Amino acid sequence: MDEFLAGIEQLAIVRGLKASFVAYPIVNALHIMSIGALLTSVWLMDLRILGAFRSLPYVPFVTLLRRTAFTAFAGALVTGSLLFSVRAREYAAMPIFLTKMTLILLAVANFLTFMRHAKGGDEPPGGTVTILAVLSLVLWTSVLFAGRFIGFLN
Amino acid sequence: MQSPFNGIRSVTLAAAVILAAGTAAYAHHGWSWTQDGFFELRGKITAIYIGNPHATLDVDADGEAWRVDLAPPSRTIAAGFTEEVAKVGDEVTAIGHRSRDETEKWMKAARVIVNGKAYDVYPDRVPPA
Repeated sequence: MDEFLAGIEQLAIVRGLKASFVAYPIVNALHIMSIGALLTSVWLMDLRILGAFRSLPYVPFVTLLRRTAFTAFAGALVTGSLLFSVRAREYAAMPIFLTKMTLILLAVANFLTFMRHAKGGDEPPGGTVTILAVLSLVLWTSVLFAGRFIGFLN
Repeated sequence: MQSPFNGIRSVTLAAAVILAAGTAAYAHHGWSWTQDGFFELRGKITAIYIGNPHATLDVDADGEAWRVDLAPPSRTIAAGFTEEVAKVGDEVTAIGHRSRDETEKWMKAARVIVNGKAYDVYPDRVPPA
């Protein structure tokens, strides 16, 4: 594992990013942008499922936000991997980083469970889906906080 | 609105405030996590990292493993401190401020001295001559 992580640090693109004056802050900014879009779409989507903004049609609203969240998550994954890569061994050894990764896995598992339960219908079905929406809000918000603390604990 | 999310929002906000307050002392961004008085560390370099988000040295000082934070790479390199001027095993003196939490062997340096040469990575923060 250590060798694999050290190998990542030695990749040409990663070495360039490590030493760059401009690229690293740009990747950093794009990571923040992706997370902002992800958290906003997750919050709006989950609040709609929990009964807010009832005047907005459920299906198109949630569909749009789910797509936005997907795209934003993909962006966060790419930019986050790049930020990780410059000091892969250092981050991989940090409990707060591992906490964040665990929270992301839980949030993704929660999303997959949600997709199994939320088939069809013009309005959210309530019950299990309500609990999953609350979990989604808590997990994604926790991911954000855990991520921010990486910068303050290393 | 009488939806359940008012409660959720309050819980999330409360959790955020508690988290922020509880960990503020550990902040390694900026200088807020360091003591006010100057601190000097002497030891042997065990690892050098000149890169984003900021450069660091690992230093062995009398058997204690220390982490010395320097400036971001642009600033560190501008001060003349590059991978060419220091190597693992070199004696180093780091002058700056140590963590307020003294159980943490961690400091942030304004000046490092290696092989008789001083590098001011934070020139505005070096001790007055």
